[in-house]
Amino acid sequence: MLFNSIIFAFFLPAVFCLYWFVFHKSLRLQNALLLAASYFFYGWWDWRFLFLLLFSTLLDFFTGARMAASRTTATRKFWLWLSIITNVGFLGVFKYYDFFITSFTEALARTGLHIHPGLLNVILPVGISFYTFHGLSYVIDVYNKRIPAERNFVDYAVFVSFFPLLVAGPIERATHLLPQIKAKRVFDYTRAADGLKQILWGLVKKIVIADQCAYYTEMIFAHSASYGGSTLVLGVVLFTFQIYGDFSGYSDIAIGTARLFGIDLLRNFAYPFFSRDIAEYWRRWHISLTTWFRDYLYIPLGGSRGGTWMRVRNTFIVFLISGLWHGANWTYIVWGGLNALFMLPLLLTGKQRIHLDTVAQGRVWPTLRETGAMLLTFALAVFAFIFFRAESMHHAWSYLAGIFSPSLLSVPYFPGVGKMPFLLLLIALFMLAEWQGREYHHALARLGATWKRPVRYALYYGLLIAIFCLGSDKTQQFIYFQF
Amino acid sequence: MKKFIRKVAWFLLPIVVLAYPIDYFLSTNLKKSKQYAEGEYLVWNDIYDGRIDAGIAIYGSSRAWHHFDTQIIEDSLHATAYNFGIDAHNFWLEYLRHKEYLEHNKKPKLILLSVDVFSLEKKPELINADQFLPYMFKKDVREFTSSYEGFSWFDYRLPLLRYYGKTEVMLRAVKNAAGMDRGAPARVKGYMGVKRKWNSDMDMAKQRKKHYRLNLDSASIRLFGTFLAECRNNGIPVVIVYSPEYIEGQHFTQNREEGMDLYRSFSQQYKVPFLDYSADTMCTQKEYFYNATHLNRDGADLFTRKLVTDLKNKVPALLPSHP
Repeated sequence: MLFNSIIFAFFLPAVFCLYWFVFHKSLRLQNALLLAASYFFYGWWDWRFLFLLLFSTLLDFFTGARMAASRTTATRKFWLWLSIITNVGFLGVFKYYDFFITSFTEALARTGLHIHPGLLNVILPVGISFYTFHGLSYVIDVYNKRIPAERNFVDYAVFVSFFPLLVAGPIERATHLLPQIKAKRVFDYTRAADGLKQILWGLVKKIVIADQCAYYTEMIFAHSASYGGSTLVLGVVLFTFQIYGDFSGYSDIAIGTARLFGIDLLRNFAYPFFSRDIAEYWRRWHISLTTWFRDYLYIPLGGSRGGTWMRVRNTFIVFLISGLWHGANWTYIVWGGLNALFMLPLLLTGKQRIHLDTVAQGRVWPTLRETGAMLLTFALAVFAFIFFRAESMHHAWSYLAGIFSPSLLSVPYFPGVGKMPFLLLLIALFMLAEWQGREYHHALARLGATWKRPVRYALYYGLLIAIFCLGSDKTQQFIYFQF
Repeated sequence: MKKFIRKVAWFLLPIVVLAYPIDYFLSTNLKKSKQYAEGEYLVWNDIYDGRIDAGIAIYGSSRAWHHFDTQIIEDSLHATAYNFGIDAHNFWLEYLRHKEYLEHNKKPKLILLSVDVFSLEKKPELINADQFLPYMFKKDVREFTSSYEGFSWFDYRLPLLRYYGKTEVMLRAVKNAAGMDRGAPARVKGYMGVKRKWNSDMDMAKQRKKHYRLNLDSASIRLFGTFLAECRNNGIPVVIVYSPEYIEGQHFTQNREEGMDLYRSFSQQYKVPFLDYSADTMCTQKEYFYNATHLNRDGADLFTRKLVTDLKNKVPALLPSHP
């Protein structure tokens, strides 16, 4: 089920009403309802993969319990590695098997050795990367005794499969979400109203910005060889707004939906395009994944404790694996590697943590220097996204060659270019709204907050009309579903 | 909680209240389009407004729409005629038009049923779906279009929802309301001749596939038989017509004979004449076609004249002007 589908518009109020009006007296019943709703939500896409989700949930619940019951470190370690190997094994089979086999076959072919191993060609179960990471965070935290093993299977299953975050995050931590699932929830008007606003803003991001950009990026990337350099630059800039609108929009809807049920999810985006360097950008982009890798990979690898060399090595490892997490394609790995490369000057000079505040805090506009820094960071992110969006390395190289050609200085031209000023105006208005709300969790938390009710409602109706008019009549999937 | 529900309800109330009038406004004005959606609104409006008093009704797909010149038929047979050809659709939706036509209008004296090898196939997608937007709350429209990929369960039941994301359609309705649609009607009594020369459609089809293999739809075949039986019971004579198809196109369809055999057997079973122009000399003359399955205006002109001559000679007793 998609957040931007009509069925979700009926599903959400139905679950909400049952949750607060029918099952409100019993936390156990509320959690059972959330679990049933989450499985229904997931099964709507393909019920067969529910078995995989259930197996992954049972595995981690069981290994967590076994770890808690173990008396020796060796036994605990055994259960931990059993869970890690099985979870990563599933990811490997469903997501990476074909990729590694194909890459290996191609490498052998270059040495003159031709083999023809069978490929699985299986459909990637939606959300597998996300719920696997939920489960892994739980077993690692139980192993490290950060949390006790969960004894209630329903509560644990809700943690893994809570429908707002099940298919595309934010990637939750057991230490953050499980205590909320186990605590009695009381309806909070302010929180629920803010959740609705965040859902609305998420829909604007997805439907008004991302889907509008998607039309052009798909066309430009699909036929990149036919377009001039300036059009290709425009294509990847639009893709950058597309993926931001798509993924941060999804996260906003997920977080807003969870708030309706009295649950706070981890923040996933914090206005990354207002970052002054690439390190700040990565503290603001897909925060739940970045911090997951920091806590469960970077720090166990030694983090920054071994000096500059260790910091650089670990950063590269994290970014390369983060790239691979996104998909079984060399393009994602190069995308990760490029971001690590952009971080290198900051790591070598020790300046990776100089921008921990919000840009132009307490001011309306940024300084010229801040503007330059934000534009440069944005340009670096855009450059890396060429690899992220390209179908293959060959496609990425040819796209780059197309950009750095004499046509770079030409006026962009492609079918539908006449509608571009309207889209650019939409993006400009969107970025202005984001800018004014950059110190808040989402732009609508501030925009209109102090306005009189009729004006504020007019804004909300205006956004709904924009969604209605600009939406695609074919429901568009979220990009991160494929990961 | 009560405050939250109350506020959400108050916020949603104007949307719910306005949804019906806005839907009515859009649907009413969209129907006024003379050219949009291949001019299909003109035909649907004529049907639902009960304006059709045709002696001869022509049914079929785009081949009927482009091949059967109603003016020539009327002039030659001295009977009123109306072309119901529906672009890109097979017998399934042709039957919907027939059903709605009979329900809201006087029945015809003769039906010329244009067929082709694709008539008894059913494509999954609802091509030119916008033509149904103003009429989607009608039971028959829902029944016949819901088996296609196009609209959701909610689109047929809730107001306004089916206009979601259809900016162009909504703008067109507003323009129509303001009287800004000044174009000439795309169809005259349902017919539209196409002034085009041979294009690259056939070459592109060959590039995609070496041959085309028919995938006959059993439900459409059953419906075809039901239709012929109904017409017989209602006393409406039917003539099945296979208008010219360019020879290259005939060879392109691998199992064409399978479809043709079906028409022959229906013709025998229900004792309806079958006029097949597959071997007509026109089929080898490219200048009469704009692609392998469609005649251009010159071709349509020549074919319609041949057809009326054949009707006069071969089935004179079925003609409305017959004494």
